[in-house]
Amino acid sequence: MAVTREQIQHIAALAELAVDDAAAAELERQLTRILDYVRQLEELDTGDTRVADERVAPLRRDEVVADRLDRPARDFGAAMRQGLFVVPRLGELGGGDQEP
Amino acid sequence: MSAPTVVPGGEAPAGGWETVIGLEVHVQLKTRTKMFCGCSSVFGDPPNTNVCPVCLGLPGALPAPNEQALRLAVRAAYGLGLTVHPRSIFARKNYFYPDLPKGYQISQHVEPLSTGGRLEIESPDRGPLTVGITRIHLEEDAAKSFHDKVPGMTAVDFNRSGVPLIEIVGEPDLRSPAEARAYLTALKQVLVYLEVSDCSMEEGSLRVDANVSVRPAGNAELRTRCEIKNLNSFANVERALVFERDRHIAVYVSGGTIEQRTMTFDAAKGEVRPVRSKEESHDYRYFPEPDIPPLVLTEAWLAAERGALPELPAAKRARFEKQHGLTRYEAGVLTAEREQADLYEMAVAKGGSPKSVATWMMNEVDRLQAVYKRVSSPEIARLTPRLSSAEVFVTAVAAVSQSVETGDLNRQGGRQLLEEIAAKPERLVESLAAGAPRAIAASLAKPLGILQISDAGEIEGWVREVLDVHAAQVARYKGGEEKLYGFLVGQVMKRSKGRADPKLVNAALVRVLKGTPGG
Amino acid sequence: MSDRRALAALTARRIRELEDGGAHAFVEWSEAALLAQADAPASPAGGALAGETVAVKDNICDLTFRTTCCSRILEGWRSPFEATAVRRLRDAGALVAGKTNCDEFGMGSSTEFSCHGPTVNPCDSARVPGGSSGGSAAAVASGAVSMALGSETGGSVRQPAAFCGVVGIKPTYGRVSRYGLVAFGSSLDQIGTFGRDVEGAARLLAVISGRDPFDATSLDRDPLPPPGPAPVSLAGTVIGIPREYFGEGLHAGVAAGMRRAMDRLRALGAELRDVSLLHTKYAVPTYYIVAPAEASSNLARYDGVRYGRRVGEGAADVRALYRATRGSGFGPEVRRRILLGTYVLSAGFYDAYYGKAQGARERIGGDFTAVFAGGVHAVFTPTTPTPAFKLGENLSDPVAMYLSDIYVCTANLAGVPALSLPIGRDQGLPLGGQLIGPMEGEAEIIRIGQALEAVVGGAEEVR
Repeated sequence: MAVTREQIQHIAALAELAVDDAAAAELERQLTRILDYVRQLEELDTGDTRVADERVAPLRRDEVVADRLDRPARDFGAAMRQGLFVVPRLGELGGGDQEP
Repeated sequence: MSAPTVVPGGEAPAGGWETVIGLEVHVQLKTRTKMFCGCSSVFGDPPNTNVCPVCLGLPGALPAPNEQALRLAVRAAYGLGLTVHPRSIFARKNYFYPDLPKGYQISQHVEPLSTGGRLEIESPDRGPLTVGITRIHLEEDAAKSFHDKVPGMTAVDFNRSGVPLIEIVGEPDLRSPAEARAYLTALKQVLVYLEVSDCSMEEGSLRVDANVSVRPAGNAELRTRCEIKNLNSFANVERALVFERDRHIAVYVSGGTIEQRTMTFDAAKGEVRPVRSKEESHDYRYFPEPDIPPLVLTEAWLAAERGALPELPAAKRARFEKQHGLTRYEAGVLTAEREQADLYEMAVAKGGSPKSVATWMMNEVDRLQAVYKRVSSPEIARLTPRLSSAEVFVTAVAAVSQSVETGDLNRQGGRQLLEEIAAKPERLVESLAAGAPRAIAASLAKPLGILQISDAGEIEGWVREVLDVHAAQVARYKGGEEKLYGFLVGQVMKRSKGRADPKLVNAALVRVLKGTPGG
Repeated sequence: MSDRRALAALTARRIRELEDGGAHAFVEWSEAALLAQADAPASPAGGALAGETVAVKDNICDLTFRTTCCSRILEGWRSPFEATAVRRLRDAGALVAGKTNCDEFGMGSSTEFSCHGPTVNPCDSARVPGGSSGGSAAAVASGAVSMALGSETGGSVRQPAAFCGVVGIKPTYGRVSRYGLVAFGSSLDQIGTFGRDVEGAARLLAVISGRDPFDATSLDRDPLPPPGPAPVSLAGTVIGIPREYFGEGLHAGVAAGMRRAMDRLRALGAELRDVSLLHTKYAVPTYYIVAPAEASSNLARYDGVRYGRRVGEGAADVRALYRATRGSGFGPEVRRRILLGTYVLSAGFYDAYYGKAQGARERIGGDFTAVFAGGVHAVFTPTTPTPAFKLGENLSDPVAMYLSDIYVCTANLAGVPALSLPIGRDQGLPLGGQLIGPMEGEAEIIRIGQALEAVVGGAEEVR
């Protein structure tokens, strides 16, 4: 089952990766090849194997721990104004899932 | 949303339409630190100062789950009647947005913390109503984005990134915007009672996404719904739902169809409009969070949390009615906030009569707040090192309530006493030595000269004086001018400098008037 | 101490020679940094790594050098925090020599996918050193440093160790904190160690191991004890030889090397037992579903907003910024894996791929559990199907490259510890033998490794 150009564009959009036509053509071939290869797992009967994870998450005490950065965030070299990280406006994007 | 059964007695459908509403509420938990790192989660600090590798999504950072967040989430779940699952897992919800530093949110998807609860509310349309709660799960908050601070740019503050949240998903059991508002009010009350969150929409510690659709009354099938975000008050939730409901109905009536959209509420215009120009498919590609093993809660731990649950508002209200003999209304007012309910019961325990204390706390809010403020000040606290300000306060309440109840003071005298305490709280502290509330009140009231006079003889004396001096008014009263009675009462009270027991004045006046010609 | 200073100066000289010779093992190092560390107040006397120089793979955060994961998208990035493992090795008295070259974000088996170009194999400059930790392996193999940190997701320490003729250890999953290791495949990633011999690699591992509250997946265990003396006998030790790793068509040199090593093991008194790890053939396809899936999520944070490269300042909107930044910042192999990972997690495909792969992983782990439960102390296999391949040989077909991980990725999927040590040479090219132990069985494979190393003649021709 081949991966189509359309699928490449769709997953590139989901992954926010710009893929030009030449690259997309190559990726079609390569991803098809890889997926064909990994598809051999289908012959393995995993049935209803509910992966049993016996581990238990350790829990952290609710106490403030400061100073985990060796310099303030504003010194990371990213674009900032008024102490805030800035990016171009969202345009068509609208609100994120946690806005306001 | 699952298909609900049609609830009889729902909001009178607007021209035969039934509204179906389900609310998703995100609540910030009142922990000291964030969900997955030890950064302070306090609100209002300078931007990007409460940050670390974890909440900034730096390369190499890893999440470390907060124990207290889990505890508060479990408390909320138990308080809302959900089943808490001893084993639950975190999951990654993958999407891109500037306020999401890792490019995914750590949340819960399958195997959430809790499912299957309910909240009892008082629906303005249909009275007592049980609203289902599908699930409550834990997740982390995103950073805060500002679209208008820098022209053409979106500006982001990561102080909020990683603050612990619970998402409370309600069943679509609500049938009107007003009912939705009532649900939110009741939900907030429970969560504040549980001390799980401040639930302040202004500060962003409570956020609402409202899902609404309509259908012809009597239909069981659900139609397309729209989700409204960016709601910043309960009132606006109601307004937005009204707008959107009406829009849906108008569209269907004109023969159109509703497109599933995400909407935003414009408070200034009172309008709901689409937020995205085309609906992007939300493929979140959920998978179990590989950086955090399963959350496992022992039965002993869960039992301890269940046992430590404070009394919930509904139960407290019912108990107040029964135990303290209060009306439903009185019990409702006094239990609206847990702190006030606790103060009420402390005052009753100090010796105030339940009905009397209730009346005072409900009717003298301003005077009592003044007393509370003064009594809580550091100078007064220093004078009573072994007593909390709450204890000192409720002693004052009990004292005033008892002294009026027993007739030592009349109502006006009681108010004066409160004002005196607020003005000179040191005197209250001194008078605590008197012991019982009535004695405390007496010791405070005596030098003020406001103790009520209950000597029938003295009162009769004043009555006779007044009738004598104001014979003309007496004659006019007997001639039919009923309202002059009040004047006569007032004159007696004046002679007693406001201290005569009004009941005795009344009795005496009536008796003496009867005994005179024309009475 | 002037000893430390002398060591720093000597290390700087060796690295300079190495790099001047075109090895390209390091992406960043400096004599000044080495001397500054030497002059800084020394760790408590007798630090377990006093006198050692350690090179650190460029995907592990430290405070002295840049951490770029050999990717353009992290060009110039100075991490404001250091990995727990790096802090521990410094506290134990080691000098951090610099950051080493690797495949971008750890994705590759040859170091050819580094944005800086490949490292060459110190044993043959026309060949790859292996990957993704090729720079660290070459740095140790050349003698420039005594030890190095690498990382594994699918064999990226053991495979280059085998190709370069040094020792490489991948610990039990959770043994070493991942805090500060830039994530690739979170459920597989572990920091691993390189050493000239088993003792060195094991000693470094012991220092960096142990629970870490900053990593919720770290085992709740004290640090490993340091390795003891090499045993002179393996009497009573049962070593499993899994038939699935010795199929027809095994490279003749590798086969010869393994036969020779097995003879030495028998001579030491070990019992060699034929065992089966039935699901071995599913390991590579399983790995190439799980790792890219997790990677596609782990690499979503590289969006130019808070750090790293940002492309498209004048972009119309933030989406355009993301696409330009990520489109130009990631190399072809990383992009391939992100897209593959996004695909297998996307709506409708999760159960068929990721869900299925998790089930396969259970089976692979189950194979090992059964073998060890049957009384086997460790399993012995070739580390790689061939000696180091030539630069450029496997670049045209991604799957061909993936197949070089065929013997190593089983241990990552199962979470068990594994060690590669040199067992000889084939026409001058190093051959690696691999010991795989049960969960938390580092002591076992280290012990057996030390015994074998003493007698196997790791630098001798095998045929």
